Amino acid sequence: MSAADLARLQFATTTSFHFLFVLLTLGLVSLLVIMQTRYTLTRAPVHERMTRFWGRIYVINYALGIVTGIVMEFQFGLNWSGLATYAGDVFGAPLAMETLIAFFLESTFLGLWIFGWGRMNRWLHLALLYLTALTAFASAFWIMAANGFLQHPVGYRLDGNVLRLDDFSALLTNPTFTAALTHVVFASLTVGGVFLTGVSAYHFIKRTPEVDFFRRSLRMGVITTALATPTLMGAGFAQFPVIAEYQPGKSEAAPWIGAPLGFMILIGMTLATVSWFTLPLLIKDAVIRMRFPLYLMVIGIPLPFTAAIFGWMFREIGRQPWLVYGLLRTEDAVSHVDASQILLSLIVFTSLFVLLACVDWALIARAVRRGPDVAPAPVSPLVVTL
Amino acid sequence: METLWLVVLGVLTVGYFSLAGFDYGTGLLLPFRRRDETLRRMTPFFLGNEVWLVAAIGVLFAAFPRLEGELLSGAHSVFTLVLAGLVLFMAAVQLRLWSWLVFTGALMVSVGWGLFLAHLLHAPWPVALVMPVLFAVHGWVFQTRQWKLFPLTALLCALPIPLAFSSIDVTGLMAHTNTLGLLAWVAIPIIPLVVLLQWSIVAISSR
Ligand code: HEM
Repeated sequence: MSAADLARLQFATTTSFHFLFVLLTLGLVSLLVIMQTRYTLTRAPVHERMTRFWGRIYVINYALGIVTGIVMEFQFGLNWSGLATYAGDVFGAPLAMETLIAFFLESTFLGLWIFGWGRMNRWLHLALLYLTALTAFASAFWIMAANGFLQHPVGYRLDGNVLRLDDFSALLTNPTFTAALTHVVFASLTVGGVFLTGVSAYHFIKRTPEVDFFRRSLRMGVITTALATPTLMGAGFAQFPVIAEYQPGKSEAAPWIGAPLGFMILIGMTLATVSWFTLPLLIKDAVIRMRFPLYLMVIGIPLPFTAAIFGWMFREIGRQPWLVYGLLRTEDAVSHVDASQILLSLIVFTSLFVLLACVDWALIARAVRRGPDVAPAPVSPLVVTL
Repeated sequence: METLWLVVLGVLTVGYFSLAGFDYGTGLLLPFRRRDETLRRMTPFFLGNEVWLVAAIGVLFAAFPRLEGELLSGAHSVFTLVLAGLVLFMAAVQLRLWSWLVFTGALMVSVGWGLFLAHLLHAPWPVALVMPVLFAVHGWVFQTRQWKLFPLTALLCALPIPLAFSSIDVTGLMAHTNTLGLLAWVAIPIIPLVVLLQWSIVAISSR
């Protein structure tokens, strides 16, 4: 394989892993906002315990996800120096906005939320979670703006052989950005809903004594999925006209490219249908007593994650051979590095990321199995593993 | 404008390396100390420094686009080592299975930064050992709570790379003023805010 092929493979692998973490982070933080708001308003212990339990899982996932994000960011410079050289002035702007406004602040708010648990005014503590969630979605906003630019470059002028930033606002009204952002935001909510449902179902399968706790969580999960998925589908279909206008021929980019698209749509429809069928079964906890659906809920956890990877495959492979659509070819943007060096880093990172995903899974599974109450928690009730 | 961005980049890198001593330093000492207590002391600082690293690379990309690619791809294998060490370190700290795994991760990161230092200075590779030694000393000062020495070792960890970096001539490598002006509005208020918030994290968790 050439350096370009290896660099592409590495980008695809890193991004896919990274995005799995991101989706769960975004999904969980949105649901945590609801849980902690209810706790702060009602002071009911069950809402506090819900915030703590799901918050712990969220924190594990965030802390491990950060690493994949760091590798992502370095990768532009390591393997794709041609992109920075040619389009860095424009593409770099939303990227730097993301690191500064969103990520830099998000991690700090989150840190304060973690260590401030039980140590500060509860409204202030709630405000920190709101700020964390806000900056997390701001992250998605800027990254999708950067990606939208690659799909359909706008707001630039050509100056010699580099692009210059001409109109920043054009980047933010770019149709390939706005349509995709909605789709991604609702995808994360679906992920959060399906995750809450599946984990709660697992506890019912294990005949948990925490009936009230997991009944509430399961309801919240099912309702979130039922509300988010149709909107997700709507936002998905709304992307087709945008593609037809700016990237005609996308669906012919590779002979098999229709398959991931088809599977994504299929998963979306399945989740929407199943969650709406489950809604009436929430009455009097029928779905819990029936037991059989509980197994489906656990099996369903990977589905929305898979759909999201398929979605990205279609979006990114479909625009080849362009890195910046119509302006810069992928093969022209690869750094002048030996293929062997890229191969080395590909092997190293792929194996470490597999390890990381396993660690994430193991730590989350442990936190899930331990259930809502864990003692002792020396640093913060939100950190069990440190 | 150019000086401003060099200062911003300098502040972010100094922020990263002065905080990095806490956890990589602790990681280097971990097999030789009481594990649980040592890790607990580090926890409020864990991830605190990586945030600065990400911000620094983001600024490097946007404000110095023609430098970023050359700098990183020119030291491809060194950064592979640093990043692999980071991944290992973070996973190992959270798993807490085995102190030597944390140690290995921390060693890879710090040797990696040492190699980058040697690369910037065109110095022979043994110079690379400077960084792990400095991190370990800083970690020791932090763990044994010798607060008088603390600012000194923090500074020693923080300075080598930014100083070596300052030998690069950046004219012609920076972004256009349109991009720089836009980003300045963002970077200048945010950096002090993060310093304030991170300081509150430390203050509140030691209450
Ligand atoms: C009926 C259901 C769905 C339809 C019609 C749909 C449609 C689309 C289309 C057309 C794209 C490609 C956009 C482009 O190439 O510019 C896309 C991408 C994507 N899809 Fe879907 N999708 C559906 C379900 C889902 C589900 C269930 C998920 C995950 C939970 C998901 C996650 C994504 C992601 C992450 C992307 C890449 C980013 C983006 O372009 O928004 N999609 N989807």
